[in-house]
Amino acid sequence: MRPRIELGEVTVHNIRQLKRLNTVVFPVSYNDKFYKDVLQAGELARLAYYNDVVVGGVCCRIDTTEGQRRLYIMTLGCLAPYRRCGIGTVMLKHVLNYVEKDGNFDALYLHVQINNDSAIAFYQKFGFNIVETKTSYYKRIEPADAHVLQKNLVKGGSKGSKAVVG
Amino acid sequence: MKVQLPPKENALYKRIVKCYEHKLYKNGLKFAKQILSQPQFADHAETLAMKGLILNALGRRAEATDLVRRGLKNNLGSSTCWHVYGLIQRSEKKYDEVIKCFRNALKWDPSNLQILRELSLVQIHTRDLIGFRDTRHQLFKIKPTQRASWLGFAISYHLLQDYEMAYKIAEAFTKSCYRDFQPEKRDAMATFEYEKSELYLYQSMILHESGDVGAARKHMLDHSTEITDKITYYETVGKYHLELEEYGQAESVYRKLISFNPDNRFYYDGLMKSLRIEDGTTEKVNVYKEIQVMYPKAGLAKRLALECVDGEEFEALLEPYVINAIFRGAVTLFTDLEPLYKNPQKVEIIENLMIYLIDNMERFGKFEERDVERAPVTSLLWSYYYLAKHYDRLGQTKTALKYIDIAIEHTPTLNDLYICKSKIYKHAGDYPAAVECMNEARDMDTADRYINSKCAKYMMRANLVDDATEILGKFTREGANPIDNLNEMQCMWFLTEAAAAYQRQGRWGEALKKCLEIERHFNDILDDQYDFHTYCIRKMTLRSYVKLLRLEDVLHAHPFYFKAAQIAINVYLYLYDNPLKSQSDEEQLNTENLSPAELKKLRNKQRKAKKKAELEQQSAAAIAGKKDHHQKSKQSSEEGDSHTPSSTDELVPEKLVVEPNPLEQAIRFLKPLQSLAAQKVETHIMAYEIYSRRDKPLLMLRSIRRALKVDSENDVVQKLFASFKEAMAVKVTSLPEPLSEFMCQELDKLGVA
Repeated sequence: MRPRIELGEVTVHNIRQLKRLNTVVFPVSYNDKFYKDVLQAGELARLAYYNDVVVGGVCCRIDTTEGQRRLYIMTLGCLAPYRRCGIGTVMLKHVLNYVEKDGNFDALYLHVQINNDSAIAFYQKFGFNIVETKTSYYKRIEPADAHVLQKNLVKGGSKGSKAVVG
Repeated sequence: MKVQLPPKENALYKRIVKCYEHKLYKNGLKFAKQILSQPQFADHAETLAMKGLILNALGRRAEATDLVRRGLKNNLGSSTCWHVYGLIQRSEKKYDEVIKCFRNALKWDPSNLQILRELSLVQIHTRDLIGFRDTRHQLFKIKPTQRASWLGFAISYHLLQDYEMAYKIAEAFTKSCYRDFQPEKRDAMATFEYEKSELYLYQSMILHESGDVGAARKHMLDHSTEITDKITYYETVGKYHLELEEYGQAESVYRKLISFNPDNRFYYDGLMKSLRIEDGTTEKVNVYKEIQVMYPKAGLAKRLALECVDGEEFEALLEPYVINAIFRGAVTLFTDLEPLYKNPQKVEIIENLMIYLIDNMERFGKFEERDVERAPVTSLLWSYYYLAKHYDRLGQTKTALKYIDIAIEHTPTLNDLYICKSKIYKHAGDYPAAVECMNEARDMDTADRYINSKCAKYMMRANLVDDATEILGKFTREGANPIDNLNEMQCMWFLTEAAAAYQRQGRWGEALKKCLEIERHFNDILDDQYDFHTYCIRKMTLRSYVKLLRLEDVLHAHPFYFKAAQIAINVYLYLYDNPLKSQSDEEQLNTENLSPAELKKLRNKQRKAKKKAELEQQSAAAIAGKKDHHQKSKQSSEEGDSHTPSSTDELVPEKLVVEPNPLEQAIRFLKPLQSLAAQKVETHIMAYEIYSRRDKPLLMLRSIRRALKVDSENDVVQKLFASFKEAMAVKVTSLPEPLSEFMCQELDKLGVA
């Protein structure tokens, strides 16, 4: 029997679980403002459940810098024992569906530590590419450099992006 | 002075009565004024009484009582006045007085249906069963056409355990009322069938209680088509067959019940009894296996099989059961298997199995090496969780913590893990650590009221009552003080925990306040049954009604009451031994420049002198000898009653603490325990402590005797017994004659035992 993987909303009642998750999964810590914004993010923030246990989470925001309307993935991750079970895929597909339905995004992008090979490979599978490398992006961890992974979209249609059937 | 009203005023008077019945109080008062303002009618008894009744309904108690008394004085022969006076007393819950008033009213108007009905209600409420039966008899004679007359009459005999009469009345009722009754509408038909069904079930109940199980069984079978509640029908018939040892029929009934619900434990028990299968035989397991085949989803059959087997067979059945649970992520696996832990051999098997499975999952990611499919990742998590609970149960705290920490490291986002860790600390007695963990769990899911309450409870165990209240406030009504709201909701667990916490901290007044609030709630629950006396008869839910009456009779046996009483009694005993004087007294004595030690000496001296005087008084009274037993307990119960605070008084901790008669209050709490919690040795220990301070040697002796009967090995009891013997050895000569001889005899008896 396959395990059940589901996504759930982030609410004021369970936000602490998201905090706990991020603290364990990511080497970077996020401040209270981050979580305050997450509560307003609606569909852009989701918890991932594996057999009814919270094991992953994704938080995005809409970014309008550099003259473009892009979706920025702030955090996307899951607990170590649950990796390579398809959870990351479910979360990323949710995000990709969101931008396709919206139809008005130029691209999606995120930052990845240059030594995070598994993450880079994961996003490349979905059509993301390394477009830039920022030195000393991170303040308190080593290596401090980060790749920018981006996936460009064609506005108003699904041409150019991978078929995103949930 | 009897005054007759002329027609105009009489009409006004009748309108007053109507206004009262329709709750148009202002109009009623207006009309009353019209009559009473006329000088020749200013003392008209009935009008005064009715005015009083209306004022009572508006909450102006004192005025109301006054007016009604005046009216009564003016016309002692007025049934209405007595009736109204009774109603006023009823609103103050003085039920004995109410009965007297209503009886007086009936003297002047013996066939007044309304008064008779109300009298019967008060009688059943106060359990005056004989009076109730007589009143019901009256009602039955006067109005045999009314259904309630028959049913009330039958019930009155049932409660007096005159089963024959009760059955006869119910039988006559069914025969006459239901034979020709044909309702037209659909809904009426449904009600009619339900009521008939309930009536038959009620009759069966009467027959069974009378001891004639055969008749009860026959009755059920005769009316089987008319009884609509099939589940109750089969359950009752099954029970009867077993009692009559009709095993074949019992078996078919229980098999039928299992087909309705294969997860009900009682049906399996019934089936096993009807198959005459003893515990622990392979036959039992075979039956369970048989049922599993018929009802594959019946989890209970698999679980019950685990109880009947040992050793290798047990292991063989256990493995698939455990794997299935862990696979599904069943959090409750441990709670499910916990009853098996009485058997150390099974405990070992379970432990070995879990360790084996964990090992497999860590090494191969599968339950068994030979498995094709991988186990879900959560299986390892739940296995660690299970072992944490397992070692906690065995008291191996360190190992338990080790496993729960491994689990937390694996999946730190699961708040069940933190709850488990908190409980491990709690079982080990470390309340602050337990609070910390539970609070973390609570924070992760603030919508979960269960965790919220558990967190508050642990805080109270750690004596953090204010923090606990704040936490609970997250779920109580908006805008209301949490403590008030919880009290209004009769939240007993909160009140008992808070009382215990205050007691531990020496905050006696606040502890007493909580205990008294609990006492009030229990009294309220007792009073709540009042409305059901008419309602249940009207709705024909007779079996439930009788069960309700019996429940209310033993309501104070509930553990919550026991806890509250225990705390209250211990606090009162402490306050008796260490009385706290009020502020002004303290200051007075202080001005005499006494040091605290001297102050204490002075108080002790005063108390000893008081006690001596009391003792001399009592030994004069004790000359009555053995009969004192009964007398003394009667006395203290009368004293206790007069000190019961009315339910609307506010409880102020500072006042409670300077209670002038703590022992009487303690006795009031003790009374229900003596009748309903006599199997607990603590009841008798507390009784002994109270009576020894009151210096009642016979009651002390009785308490010791009862305590020894319940638990002769108990340390505290032995200690008290020794000190009692010592005290008696000194005193026995100074006791008056019949008493001292009796005491010696009893001591010898106990000494030998």
